Amino acid sequence: MTEVLNPVQKIWQEQPVEGVKMSVEEIRRRAGKFERRIVWRNRREIVACMIVSVLFAYFLATNHDGLFRMAYGLFIAGMIWVAVQLHRKGSVNSLPAALGAASSLRFFRAELERQRDVVRNVWPWYLAPLVPGYVMLTIAYAVSFPRPVRWLGVAAFDGFVVLVFLGVWKLNQRAARCLQRSIDDLYAAESSR
Amino acid sequence: MSALENVSAIEAIPAASTADELYQDAAKTYGAALERLARAYEADADLRRDLLQDIHVALWRSFQGFDGRCSARTWVYRVAHNVGASHVVRQRRTRTQALVGLEELENLADANSGQPAADRNQALDRLLNLIQRLNPLDRHVILSYLEGLDAASIGEITGLSAGNVATKIHRIKNVLARQFQQGGESHD
Repeated sequence: MTEVLNPVQKIWQEQPVEGVKMSVEEIRRRAGKFERRIVWRNRREIVACMIVSVLFAYFLATNHDGLFRMAYGLFIAGMIWVAVQLHRKGSVNSLPAALGAASSLRFFRAELERQRDVVRNVWPWYLAPLVPGYVMLTIAYAVSFPRPVRWLGVAAFDGFVVLVFLGVWKLNQRAARCLQRSIDDLYAAESSR
Repeated sequence: MSALENVSAIEAIPAASTADELYQDAAKTYGAALERLARAYEADADLRRDLLQDIHVALWRSFQGFDGRCSARTWVYRVAHNVGASHVVRQRRTRTQALVGLEELENLADANSGQPAADRNQALDRLLNLIQRLNPLDRHVILSYLEGLDAASIGEITGLSAGNVATKIHRIKNVLARQFQQGGESHD
């Protein structure tokens, strides 16, 4: 810091600041709030899964058609799987206490790798578990209402759902590739001397 | 309260107060630098206030794991930039402009290039626009340079090799020279 500052460094360092000060008590309060926010966010997603599962359990209990019951059962199993995945990844976003121990390069790379894994795993973790239930529900509709017009409607809707799933998968794969390029650049930056 | 609990409580107080003291010292010494840093990572005033508070919380928490293997300055800048980088990664979906590296920035045509800034505020705005276009790692390097850190310190904080830091600083000087008509590489 003993170097003579050039004009741009002077402009930067002499910019007006508000002089924000936080007492340790305020910091503790905010840290507690932050932790609660993380816990609540994780719970919220799991609670949403549980609500949907309860709804499907109601359909399961009130419907007497075996195929429909099987479809709802598969949906419930899928939602439980999603909830388990959410619970397992839940603690990842909390601020690590040893944040200063990692160099920026390694920390940033780890952040990008985490993002890449989330994006890459949207399909196997969150979409694929719901597919068996959906397929079974489609079969149940097709069998229960064996009129060609109804079949056409079901097929059109299925086509639309398949397109949406494919679109989500393609977008996520593209995002994962972009993130991977940035990760590779960071590995190269670390290894080059 | 049992004797064991008493011992734990007595031992916990000095450790906690040390972390608190370390935080207070750091906030006093680097408070202004942290504000400037938050400004470089977030343009929106409300989000910036939140980010700055997140940086302070992270800093306070991090001092519980501070082992003195690096200087407090290195630690503070690492924590602050790491929180800033996380913020940038989180804002990825809402960003309208793609982030670039110094190399791309050096080659990008810019409407302001060669135009002298009317005053310090305009120069600062221009500088902030430039910084906010950079990816987090290069943003870290340019901010460290603007804060007056030497190449060795920048290398220690970022984890970049000395050669890499030297190349990046060279590029930073070229970009700033083009933006602010400082006479390029002669300016050191």
